[in-house]
Amino acid sequence: MAKRMLLEDQIRHNKSVTVRLFLILFLILFAIVFGVGYYLQVTPWVTAGFALVFGLFYLFMASSFSIPAILKSARARPANPMVREEKLLMMRVEEMAIAAGMPPPKVYIQEDKDINAFATGKKPEESIVCFTTGALAALDQEELQGVVAHELSHIRNYDIRVTTYAIALIGLIAMVGEMVVRSVFWGGARHGRSRDAGGGNIILIVIALALVILAPILSRMVYFAISRRREYLADASGAQLTRNPDGLARALQKIAGTQPEPSHGDRTVASLYLDNPFRRGVRESAFSTHPPIEKRIERLRQM
Amino acid sequence: MVNWLLIGIVALAVIAVLYFISKRNQFIRYENTIDNSWAQIDVQLQRRGELIPNLVETVKGYAAHEKSTFKAVSDARAAMMGAQSPQAKMEADNFLTQALGKLFAIAEAYPELKANTNFLQLQDELSHTENKVAFARQHYNDAVLQYNNAIEQFPGSLVAGSRKERQMLQVPEASKALPKVSFA
Repeated sequence: MAKRMLLEDQIRHNKSVTVRLFLILFLILFAIVFGVGYYLQVTPWVTAGFALVFGLFYLFMASSFSIPAILKSARARPANPMVREEKLLMMRVEEMAIAAGMPPPKVYIQEDKDINAFATGKKPEESIVCFTTGALAALDQEELQGVVAHELSHIRNYDIRVTTYAIALIGLIAMVGEMVVRSVFWGGARHGRSRDAGGGNIILIVIALALVILAPILSRMVYFAISRRREYLADASGAQLTRNPDGLARALQKIAGTQPEPSHGDRTVASLYLDNPFRRGVRESAFSTHPPIEKRIERLRQM
Repeated sequence: MVNWLLIGIVALAVIAVLYFISKRNQFIRYENTIDNSWAQIDVQLQRRGELIPNLVETVKGYAAHEKSTFKAVSDARAAMMGAQSPQAKMEADNFLTQALGKLFAIAEAYPELKANTNFLQLQDELSHTENKVAFARQHYNDAVLQYNNAIEQFPGSLVAGSRKERQMLQVPEASKALPKVSFA
């Protein structure tokens, strides 16, 4: 019983951290929007409205076109039930879906030597898990089950949505930043007008500019922090599904023993993979999507 | 003054009624989850029962003289298909799993049988249904736990009325030593 409490505490903790990080992301967005508004001497409401329209548009685009785009860039194909390995994977997915009480996602295969997997989709009812051929070859069924549970947890915890929204927010922040930089170079006339109105507020303008320049970097760091948190969360809730943290721990150990090859795929969805397919961090850095494998294994062993 | 008091009382009553309704609906949702989880288990047990005659036939083709094992499997299957209550079904299924374990152990001694694709498929398929049963039971028990907590904890217990605690599906003592999940 003590073990289970620990697991549930971990899940709760990870969730509340995500909420706080999202709040920071929103604060950054607000700060930058009003910074821009101040710089351009427009009413804050106009800027905010502008940001809102852009944001919703971006969110809509991101969520409608992301799935086919991700599958295409990963060069994924549907799993073939006539191949035993792939059939076994489909079985493991179906089993874990039953354990999670959710509809089974579609299974895709990515031809890649690395041991990896990712999940994507708009909602649990229309989701996809994709495994590399390397994972199918290297992992035994128990390890495979652990990884499947991890990916299904990403789906069940709505990480797909968290990622989509976080990426949209970051995109928006970057976009606003870009607009400001352009207006500084192009909008000479407007700049003149604001000088007339603003007078000696040069310091405030500098602060606003600094904010605009720093915001994209900051928001990216927040996003990576969210992503790492969700990784721990998926590990923990995956273990809750299999009641066997050892399977996933051993799979991670196998990954730790390999070096990633230069991968193709969409970098923006790196956080949806079991482990970052592009870069492997040894230390927990502010710019990594995944916590170091050793730390994840350690936490799984503690469950 | 009296009006304000009246409004206050009415507001409280409305809140109480809304709480009552939402709690009731929550209980019904949980009950449906439990029933649905059991239906899932039942479907898998049925599927398991359907696969077994095929498996026995395949093994017979290579190891015809292992009659006692075939009989044990067939008996266990018949008992499982005939069991009525969820708990009885689960227990019968457990015996079936043990009998199947012996059958698969025999298969180890026949390399040609092990190479038979039909046999391999049946083996994969059977361990698949076994895992599905195990995980469906896990989900069932999770749902029962959630339901029992909901109807016993205050203030939900006030709304629960005549609802009774549901029983979890126990793993029979004999099988606790066996790994819960098996892979071919």
